[in-house]
Amino acid sequence: MNAMEMILLCALVTMVPRILPLFMPFLSKLPRFVKKCMMLLPVAALGALIFPLALTDFGTEWLAGLLGVTTAFFVSYNKGSMFVSILSSLAVTVAILLVLV
Amino acid sequence: MAGKLTLKEGIKDGSPIFVGYFTTALAFGLLTRTSGLRFVEGILISLTNYSGSGQFLMMNLYNSGALLLEICISVLFINTRYLFMASSLVGRLEDPNSIPLKLVSGFGTTDEVFAVASFKGSKLNMQYMCGLVFISYIGWVLGTAVGYVAGTFLPEVIQKASVITVYAMFASLLGGETRKLTKTIFVFMLSAALNSLFIIGFSMSVGISFIISMIAATLFGARIYTDEEVGIA
Repeated sequence: MNAMEMILLCALVTMVPRILPLFMPFLSKLPRFVKKCMMLLPVAALGALIFPLALTDFGTEWLAGLLGVTTAFFVSYNKGSMFVSILSSLAVTVAILLVLV
Repeated sequence: MAGKLTLKEGIKDGSPIFVGYFTTALAFGLLTRTSGLRFVEGILISLTNYSGSGQFLMMNLYNSGALLLEICISVLFINTRYLFMASSLVGRLEDPNSIPLKLVSGFGTTDEVFAVASFKGSKLNMQYMCGLVFISYIGWVLGTAVGYVAGTFLPEVIQKASVITVYAMFASLLGGETRKLTKTIFVFMLSAALNSLFIIGFSMSVGISFIISMIAATLFGARIYTDEEVGIA
């Protein structure tokens, strides 16, 4: 695959949804159910964004990935900032990898 | 709110976003390098896409050997939320007919920038939006460049572990959403379970599996959430 082609096409499908509605105000008057689904889409995407790739990316050391994301979740759930959450997750993952490898 | 918003105020409001974006983009820069892209290509992604989840999704699919069409459709799907964010932003602009203001606001409306701008409580003008978008954008692009260049100086175990920052960012977003509303976790679990089943159980392509899992979980969410809970009351 041509990387340049991918980069520019992805930029297009990112920027069109962001910019176009500002020039089409009627888009805010879609049916309620469609609107509701659109608002829920980011939440629904999170599950598939994390699993199973957070585990499979680590191959046989998948436990490092699992404990890493679990840490990030609980830090943020207990009101930790995204920065602290990511750093704690990284620390746990490194620790598990050092034990496993 | 008293007085007109200024460029300086936009930069001030955007500085926490700068810090978060810089650190997250470090991981992205390193990811583009380990995926075999050139420095120019890595920077170009952040310059032209300027989207955390979209870019990470794109690279994940690229690395798993997905087809170009699958990548574009997946990225488009994950970006559909912007249609609504941008639509709701129209009413907050000081001059809804200013084309430069609409272009800057549209280009810069990431999740975080949207949230800050939406809760500002004043009509958004050109000066403020330029400051807010500029500082966040610089953090994202600069982080990508530093991550690409400095990434290899990190010890191998750190490099390997840095893959987790991507997923940690998503898990962190999930943690915050779950704290606000417990049922978020059920929508999350459905899409995680379906995606794992399709990919590991049925060896389905990552791109297609992602779309199906996301839509199924969205419809499930639409059943268990009230209109008030998603903020369209």
